[in-house]
Formats: sequence, structure tokens, C-alpha cells
Amino acid sequence: MGMKGGSGGGGGMGSACYVYPGAPATPGFVTPDVLFQRGIYMNGSMTFDDGNAVTIWGFTDLAAGGGGGMGGGSFPSPAMRVTEGQIVHTALTVNMMWMHTVHHHGIEPSQENDGVGHFSWDVTNGTYTYQWRPSHAGTYFYHCHTNTPLHAEMGMYGGLIVDPVPNPNDPPGTKRAFANGPIYDVEAIWAADEIDPAWHTLQWSAGTCGGDVGLNNLNPRYFIITGVDGANSALTNPGVAVTMQKGQRLLVRYICAGFHPQKIDFGGLTATVVASDGRPLPQAWQTTSIEAHSAERYDCIFQPTTTGTWTVTVTYYHWRSGAVLGTARTRINVV
Amino acid sequence: MERRAFLKAGGASLASALMGSGMLTWSARSEAATISQTLYITDGTKTMPDGVSLYVKGYGTTANTPLIPAPSIICQEGDTLSITVYNMLSVTHNLVIGGLVSGSAPIASTGDIAPGGNKTLTYTIPSGAAGSYLFYDNKTSYNRFLGLHGGLAIMPAGISNQLYSGSPTFVKQQFWILNDIDPALNTAVKNGTTIPTSFTPRYFTINGLSSRPPGAAGHGDPTIDALYDPRSRLSGHIGDRTLVRMLNTGMCSHAVHTHANHMEWLTDRGTVRPSVWKKDTLYLRNNLGKIDAIFPFEAPPDAYPPVTSGHFPMHLHDEMSQTAGGGLYQFGSMTELEFL
Repeated sequence: MGMKGGSGGGGGMGSACYVYPGAPATPGFVTPDVLFQRGIYMNGSMTFDDGNAVTIWGFTDLAAGGGGGMGGGSFPSPAMRVTEGQIVHTALTVNMMWMHTVHHHGIEPSQENDGVGHFSWDVTNGTYTYQWRPSHAGTYFYHCHTNTPLHAEMGMYGGLIVDPVPNPNDPPGTKRAFANGPIYDVEAIWAADEIDPAWHTLQWSAGTCGGDVGLNNLNPRYFIITGVDGANSALTNPGVAVTMQKGQRLLVRYICAGFHPQKIDFGGLTATVVASDGRPLPQAWQTTSIEAHSAERYDCIFQPTTTGTWTVTVTYYHWRSGAVLGTARTRINVV
Repeated sequence: MERRAFLKAGGASLASALMGSGMLTWSARSEAATISQTLYITDGTKTMPDGVSLYVKGYGTTANTPLIPAPSIICQEGDTLSITVYNMLSVTHNLVIGGLVSGSAPIASTGDIAPGGNKTLTYTIPSGAAGSYLFYDNKTSYNRFLGLHGGLAIMPAGISNQLYSGSPTFVKQQFWILNDIDPALNTAVKNGTTIPTSFTPRYFTINGLSSRPPGAAGHGDPTIDALYDPRSRLSGHIGDRTLVRMLNTGMCSHAVHTHANHMEWLTDRGTVRPSVWKKDTLYLRNNLGKIDAIFPFEAPPDAYPPVTSGHFPMHLHDEMSQTAGGGLYQFGSMTELEFL
């Protein structure tokens, strides 16, 4: 049997196995350019369009007064936004009741700062400061890497955007997807995820000591975009649906945040895909849809030439059978 | 039953040899050769991470021990493959070499091998066939899930460091063969009962093994722990660009995610990509999907202070695959990326 960890609280009671508790000093610690102070919440919730709700866990922004455990918080977790070349600190504070990490997915730091429990430590009873310096602008996300199937499904993720260093020849305020990359006026972050309510009743260390808690079998009933139900709400929710002026250029940062494969269809609009997984493509790719699997990201530029409304549909497919599990929809409104 | 078994076919050697190393070793030849291999279809049991013992079948190099996957075979365009397969079991089996493009017909087959019988597959590899192939049993739709599968690497003639003529170069190469196991299938085959029509896999393997985290029995044992299996683990110094030939013999699609470096994505389902994208996550399709990618072993680009060494995971991001028996996170399909 492996190491035992803490237990209890909003994630429920229970023992933990094969966890690696720690909150040591950061190797080579320096003063950062940017500091994110993250706590965790273990008793949030999300209500769907049909009135049902599930428990959600996530990260809080301690600097903004976020809580540290039993309460709720935003879903997805607060986004991080940094600039290429900055030294960044993500200080994660977790009390002794739980263990969590922050893995900055797609960011490639040292082993100690990669946020994978069994390659470093699961943070508990203290604070660990992840130190990293992003070298490539683009779309990333961060998530907990402790008992990952459960903690990511429970909602412990948030967007992570790396902007390029501003080009001194650009007018102030110019926004580019990456250095010398396309300019955009409007931005949307679409993290498409699926929810299996059965998983949302489990405690934080469920299954780690063995026993069948169903983590091999995700049967989602709800399909969401950036924390909003894709049945109806995401069609109009201003945090998801896009409203832009004709002639403007839209950058959609599409994050496949679920565990089953997906297809995003842009409803007749053609995307110019300029980057994926935080790296520019050698040549832009024009497409009306993208097939993606868990944790892939695609950066898509749209510049509609007419006014109108386009319905974007994310279809979720079962990882084994390929059967359609459900869809989530939002809109691009060009006025 | 897992073995570190890789085949070397160097110089003008006509026979294969099993190597202790996990990597595919290869020296290009100017002349064609005949590559010979003898395999035995046999069965046995395999213990899952939660202690469950399951019936399996495999292609072994002896008459009574299945190897999962089978020993990998490497050869080059122009060579002739001569694979003799003995069926030690009581039902008909076969061995086919799947087509280069996923979904295309097999390029070679032994045909049916009756119980107790044997057949020899002979196939001369045409030019332009370089790539990564799965050989497997397609007598039923599910035999490959039981363990009857292995990897075949066909190199471009006379070239030792490219996947196909003109591809980005590499200095090492390995297979990652992924499988998903539903015990209900294995049990039905063992007992001769009705085969399930729908599967829910409970175990997930890379080159026949699952990972064992620190503190678990078998952690660090390369015959048990996929983190340490040299067939799976990528180990290198900066610059040791490693071609990974990913073959999905299992039921599920997967998202192959490397920490520490983005991969250079060369092919998808047997077709060369129009351009090389750098990706940290690759969509590996089910139904015999395949991907070739190079793990570049560059210094992790976002470390501060900079580092050149460390240990990182490659895991599947469809996180259900990181479990065993419905729990046991970290006992699934994962291996290690070791920067020496």
C-alpha cells in the first residue's frame, strides 16, 4: 500500500492511497513578474437548464478574496493570463483536509513545477509555489493532477492564456494570437466539457485505495461550454456566445476540456486555424469543423463578411463506440 | 508474461534476434534480406493491477508463453518477411499485417491456421511501404483485444533515421501499442460463452503493461511497471530525438499527452500529415488508429531556472484510461519520459 494522505471535508471523508503529500520550498525561487494565488473550493455547484445541479470543485483566487475549501467558487476556475517571457508564480494553498496540484497543461517546466503528484508532490497543509516562464504564446489550461480523472471531471480547471510580447510597431492595444501572428479584436474561450452526475457524488480520493468507483466509465448527461449548459444557456450567455461587429476579427480559443472525443462545427462559418496546443501551425488551416480529443486546443480566427447569427455545435462522442453522447451549442452573432 | 523482446535485423542478417533493449535497433542495408520470425499462438493468464487474473492470448516465441504484445519486427522496403505461425490453441486463428492506412485491407495474411497447425506468411515489401504497422489476428473482431497483436516497423530502404524518405530525422525509435481490456470479453472467450456485444474496458495498457506509482507493489520493475518498461519509457539526453510509433489495438480512442516537450506529429492513421505540427496532445483514433510522432528531447522550454534533466509522464488524457478496475488512479496506460 502506498502513502496515506489526508481526508474529509467538502469532498467527503475517506482515506487516500498513492498520494505524495508535500509543500516544499520552490527550487531556484526568484521574485516573479506575475503571481497567482490559488486556493481550492470543494463545495461549489452548477445548475443545469433542466433544474438539476451537481457538486463542483475548483480553484479560487485568494488575492481576490476567494475562499479556501468548503465554499464555492467560479466554474471554470479563474483564468490565468501572462505574457511570453514573464516569470510566473502559481502559489497553490491547500489545507490538510485535501490534496491537489496545479498542472499547467501544455506549459513545460521543470519536474518539480509540473504539478504531477507522483512525480513531485500533492500539495496539502501548506502552499507550494509553481515557478515557470512561458516561452510560447498561445492557449493552454490548468488543472488539478491529483486523482485526475475525478478532480478534472469535478471542475478543477481554468483557462491559461499566454500573450506574445507586444510588437513595438503595433498601435497600442493591438492583440495578436502570437508573435507576428494574426491580430484579433474579439476573443472567446470555449472550454467544451461533459458532466456525468454519478461522478459528482464521490469524495476527493475515491478509488485511490482500490475498489470500483466507476472511474473507467464516464457516462455524461450534460454538455457544457465554459461552465455554461450547452443545452440552451450557452446560446445566449454573454460569457460564451459572441457578439461582434461585421469587419471585426474574432479569435476563438477552443479547449477540449472533457474526456471523450468531440467535434466542433462552426455552423457554416469557416475557421482559419492558426495554432494548436500553444504552437503556431506552419500554414494556417481553413475548416468548418474540428475533431479533437481531451486536452487539445485550437486557436481559430473568424472574420465574417456579413451580419447574421451562426450556431456553433459541439458534438460529444463515446470514446469506445463513437455513439453521439450529446451536444452543446453557442452562437456567433455578427451585427 | 511480459518480456523485453525486440528484434534486431542489421547488416544482411537473415534471421531475427530478440534484444534485451527496449528500443527498436536498426542499421540500414544496401541489399534486401529475408526477415524470418516464428511465432506461437498460445494462451495464459495475466494479473491486472488490482489483482484480478484474466485469460489472455498472444503470439509468443515459445509454445506455451504468450507475449503481449508480440516481439516487434523491424525491416526495410525490399525485404521479404517470412513469418511462421503455429496455432497451439483449439480454435482457428490467423495473423494478418494490417494496411498502412487505417481502415484499408491487410497487406498480408497467413490465412486460417487450424488448431495444431501452422502457416507461413511470406511477403516482399514494396517500395513506398515505409511506416508503422500492426500485425494481429482478425479471425474475429476481438482477438486482438485479447493480446494477439504486435508492431511491425518498415524502414525506407537504406535509411536509418527517417520514418519515410525525407521525413524529419530521429536517433531512436519505439512502439507504444495501446490496448483496453474488458474482463467480460476475456472471460467469455475462456469459457466459450456468448461474446458480449458491448464492451466497457476496465484495464488499460501500453505495450502490455500498466503503470505502478511509487509505493505500489511492482513499482520500478520493468516487467510489471509501464513507467519503467524500456519498450515504453523514453529515456534520452537532450537531442535524442525519438520516433514513437503509436498503434491503437484497443477499443477506445485516446488523447496521447506528453509532458516536458511537444511532439512533432508526422502521420495520422498511416497518412503523412501535410505539415509537421507541434502538439502536446494527439488524437489517437480507435479502430486500428495509428500515429507517428517524434519526441524531440529538447530542454523543457518553460522551466525557470532552465533544466535539462528530469522525469515526466506520458499519459492518456482521456483519464478513464488512467485507472484499473474502476479506481486506482495511476495504474493505467502511462509511461515515463526520462531526461538524463
